[in-house]
Amino acid sequence: MSPSQDSGEGVTGTAETPTIFHLEGVEKHFGGVVAVKGVDFDLRRGEVHALVGENGAGKSTLMKIVNGLYTPDQGRLEVGGKTAEFSSPRDAEESGIAMIPQEVDLFLELSVAENLFVGRRLPRTRWGGLDWATMREAAREKFESLGVDFDVTIPVKHLSAANRQIVAIARALLREARAVIMDEPTASLADRETRRLFGIISDLTASGVGVVYISHRLEEIFEISDRITVMRDGEHIVTKPASELDAEELVRLMVGRPLSELFTRSGSDPGEVALEVRSLTRAGEFADVDLEVHAGEVVGLAGLVGAGRTEIAQAIFGIRPAEGGEVRVNGEAVRIDSPQSAIKRGIFYVPEERQSQGLILPFSIRANISLSILDRLSRMGLVESRAERETAERFAEALSIRGARISESVSRLSGGNQQKVVLAKSLAREPSILILDEPTRGVDVGAKSEIYSLIDNLAKEGKAILLISSELEEVLAMCDRVVVVREGRITGEFDRKEATQESVMAAATGVRSGSAANGPPDREKESGSSRVQEGRAGHE
Amino acid sequence: MSEARPPEVAEGRPALSESVRRWLMRPEAPALVFLVLLMVVFSLAADGFLRGPNIQTILTQVAVVGIIALAVNQVILCGEIDISTGSMLGLCAVTAGMAATAAGGLVLPLLAGVATGAIAGAVNGFLVTLGRIPAIIVTLGMLYALRGVILLITGGSFVTGIPADTRVLGIGTVLGLNTPVIVLFTLFVVMALVGGHSTWGRNVFAVGGNRRAARLAGLSVDRTRFLAFVLVGVFTGIASVIFLGRAGAVQTTAGTGIELQVIAAVVVGGTSIAGGRGSALAVLVGATLIGVILNGVLLLGVPSVWQDFVLGALILLAVSVDAVRRRMVGDEA
Amino acid sequence: MIRNLRFSRELVLLGVLIAIMLVMAQLSPFFFTLGNLLDTSRYFVEIGLIALGMTLIIITAGIDLSVGAGLALVSVAVGFSFAAGLPLPLALVLGLLTGLGAGLFNGLFITRLDLHPLVVTLGTFALFRGLAYGLSDADAVSSYPAWFAYFGQAYLGPIPGQLILFVVAVIVAWIVLSRTSFGRYVYAIGSNEEAARFSGVPVWRVKLALYTGIGFLVALAAIIYTSRVSTARADSGLGLELDVIAAVVLGGASIYGGVGTVAGTVLGVLIIATLRNGLVLAGVPSTWQLFLLGILVISAVFLNEFFRKREE
Repeated sequence: MSPSQDSGEGVTGTAETPTIFHLEGVEKHFGGVVAVKGVDFDLRRGEVHALVGENGAGKSTLMKIVNGLYTPDQGRLEVGGKTAEFSSPRDAEESGIAMIPQEVDLFLELSVAENLFVGRRLPRTRWGGLDWATMREAAREKFESLGVDFDVTIPVKHLSAANRQIVAIARALLREARAVIMDEPTASLADRETRRLFGIISDLTASGVGVVYISHRLEEIFEISDRITVMRDGEHIVTKPASELDAEELVRLMVGRPLSELFTRSGSDPGEVALEVRSLTRAGEFADVDLEVHAGEVVGLAGLVGAGRTEIAQAIFGIRPAEGGEVRVNGEAVRIDSPQSAIKRGIFYVPEERQSQGLILPFSIRANISLSILDRLSRMGLVESRAERETAERFAEALSIRGARISESVSRLSGGNQQKVVLAKSLAREPSILILDEPTRGVDVGAKSEIYSLIDNLAKEGKAILLISSELEEVLAMCDRVVVVREGRITGEFDRKEATQESVMAAATGVRSGSAANGPPDREKESGSSRVQEGRAGHE
Repeated sequence: MSEARPPEVAEGRPALSESVRRWLMRPEAPALVFLVLLMVVFSLAADGFLRGPNIQTILTQVAVVGIIALAVNQVILCGEIDISTGSMLGLCAVTAGMAATAAGGLVLPLLAGVATGAIAGAVNGFLVTLGRIPAIIVTLGMLYALRGVILLITGGSFVTGIPADTRVLGIGTVLGLNTPVIVLFTLFVVMALVGGHSTWGRNVFAVGGNRRAARLAGLSVDRTRFLAFVLVGVFTGIASVIFLGRAGAVQTTAGTGIELQVIAAVVVGGTSIAGGRGSALAVLVGATLIGVILNGVLLLGVPSVWQDFVLGALILLAVSVDAVRRRMVGDEA
Repeated sequence: MIRNLRFSRELVLLGVLIAIMLVMAQLSPFFFTLGNLLDTSRYFVEIGLIALGMTLIIITAGIDLSVGAGLALVSVAVGFSFAAGLPLPLALVLGLLTGLGAGLFNGLFITRLDLHPLVVTLGTFALFRGLAYGLSDADAVSSYPAWFAYFGQAYLGPIPGQLILFVVAVIVAWIVLSRTSFGRYVYAIGSNEEAARFSGVPVWRVKLALYTGIGFLVALAAIIYTSRVSTARADSGLGLELDVIAAVVLGGASIYGGVGTVAGTVLGVLIIATLRNGLVLAGVPSTWQLFLLGILVISAVFLNEFFRKREE
């Protein structure tokens, strides 16, 4: 079922369609890193304008400028023909621009109706109290216009993720938004809910509201968008009507270079099975995950943002242990209930969020690297500073960490070098199994290729590597095998030779008809909802 | 409306059992159930427990704590804490008492007490919001600083000789009901209305539930918290006149330890120490529960020296239950 | 690096200490006598021992409000078990175990139930004190064998016995915090607990050790205190937590975690003890002292964070 509106056409046909907002020559940097450079972008009335690009391309930053969270360092934003200077999201809201972030941010203990009104002037009764009846009625009306029937009195915490998103949308619309920015809106939605969302979007555009649709799901983008803008490395690459592009070209524009030039792996010679995972399950996150990584092999874990790969990795590493299934290291079944027990078994995990999870920013480079092996560097509890220094120096040199002395704070380093510090810390422990979660995100090109060489060498040394990455070309270039995850389940497994962008993406998005991928694993029953979960066919 | 949309299944109208379940998930529910159970148990174990006069006695005893707790509830709801109320009560009682011995009547002492409390509360609020000092530090420091101020003002001597017309709020009765109980219930109704129907009352929940989102939505987080601290001062001032009435004199140690009973009343009743969840009813239930427990413990023959122990155990029990509940619901915030 | 900043902060504190001492000397001729200074040290040892443990706890962004109540509990445990017939040495052991048990109790609630230290220790603040009152029936035990006074009132040469203990404790604490892996873990947890966990730091075990450890220190302080005043009663240690936290915060530790040193805490303890002692000698009533202490804590935290933000 598709929305009543064809992609590529729709209400935006006429040439005099007014522009809702317009970004011109916008630039933004954080510290020394340029997030957005010289970007133009505009949104027209009644259009769905998709914004695509790899992780770190600058999409979210650009939209946060429109939303008032950031102010541009250069360039300007025009709303309704007038220059706008927002100092907070509230200003943006008052100008009619609303954003539905990826992580919907609501007040969980407050009712649905109240969430729609927080921050607004609240209706009052004759004697000065809050007029709940009016609020509830207005809320109900709004939801009705979205084609949804909610009990507006229940606390939001009782709603499913999909329904919370609807609440966020309703909240945006209650403010008479002219533009709605949606950041990865379908990341945690099942097919049925995605349909419902598309219906809502088509109703919005029919009434003249413009929608910016940020997503990785190319198939959806082609279904609903009128125009597509591609960003890469903070720059604006191209803006075209959706009808003039196809998936292959889009990917090429996003990635920027032909796949083969990225990196060439040296031949691999996989040994015994180092890590084996069977039927790993954690309610609401992933289910029935089977995985195998041999020594000397790089296995890629591909999939869309939010597919559950990080959750699987963190379960193997003991951060949030799985509820069912088993993990075997070198053939032996193990119970991993904490990072320490994982580390003891020779597993180490390099987290996704470098600064908040991988590094202790006030610490020196040396202290960060040695944190994982302090017990080995100490005698009777006392840290041997010479051993520590030598170890840190050894790793700093091996990984070419540049930008500061090892005694200086790690916060002074660039993103790429910081990532190397995190890698050094993991390698210091000499793990036999290494799980890398988006290791090259936010890393400059030079450091990226150094990290690729490192991974290659580690594989040659016989380490078993699980590489989680949302960059398709990176996955295809670096991995001996690719396992695809979709909504918490394995939906595909490819050998290096047979893996293609198309086949991996298909398994990641569940596109191909007949290859009906499984729906999300059963979430816990939520009170207040009598939601029906449609049955799904078996997976590939 | 688009016709191409699949049939909608959403959060529908709840069935009866659903309503009951929904009610049970309210913050006050466990405490209320526990209170009822406890009253039954005590009335069976100790004769004469459930008699009217005894219940009123209990409520009168917890009135001072309950009134202050109604305000501290707001502070905790918006994500902060206030442990300075013991010394604040003493200070308010001293100024109210001095006004009483000087001029008599009810109005002047009440004004004096409330003004003193409001100023102290404002200082707390100011230091927390503009000074950006964690509330625990501010109120811990004020707990001792204010005690010092008391001793400074009184020079170490008691305030005695409170005239009878001032004491009405503490020992008077109206239509058979003790005045402290009347004041407690009146303020409870006020806070219930504020919590449910005033902008500030709802803002408190928003700020405590998700401070970041509240700020982004344009709520004045600082002003909301500041007013909560001032409210504590005001209510403490009111409570101090009741205290004055009941005690008839003010020692320099007046109010020592009250801050703990106040916090206990708030958390035991069901308000979450993490903020964003709770109600005025929770406070009323909590204060009553504490009164019942302490009273029941006495009736059971346990010496009063064990009171603090029971209090501490209650606080720990309440927060543990809250933590378990949060884990079961899946700590969202 | 960050070291430089810490260094100069300690210098500032030293300067403040000297300034206060000069002022106190003006206020009272008795201040600068050796006898007085050494006697002051008796008092600050109790605060100081606990402050050492509190430093580590505050560095992990935690807090322990129950130390005063814990002191009372241990004191009562020692005195009343002795009065009930237990030989004093065993009573002392019981006291140490009580302190350890109290700390362990806090630690378990905080780490296993994932409760905020503020709330837990607020509860045990009442629980422990209440237990002390209950067990002692609000009474006191004041007669002990002569040798018991050794802990709190003895001299080793001209130096009070407990001062030596304190110096040893300071050295141990300094070594632990700045030279051991455990100390590194403490700083890591306080700076970024999540990253520490991801790096394999045994977070909950470290925290449990900290709260249990301070329980031990509280027990030591309690024994010394009971010996010094020759009395065990349930209202001992009232307001102690304020002195301890004030000392730690004054010494430069951030209430938000990640920052703090032993040297700073020691200077903080000295400043507070000097202030108190000087004011007593000058005839200033204890009322003013409380007032000043409260103001001091608030100002110290404010200044800490104010200057820290400036540095960023």
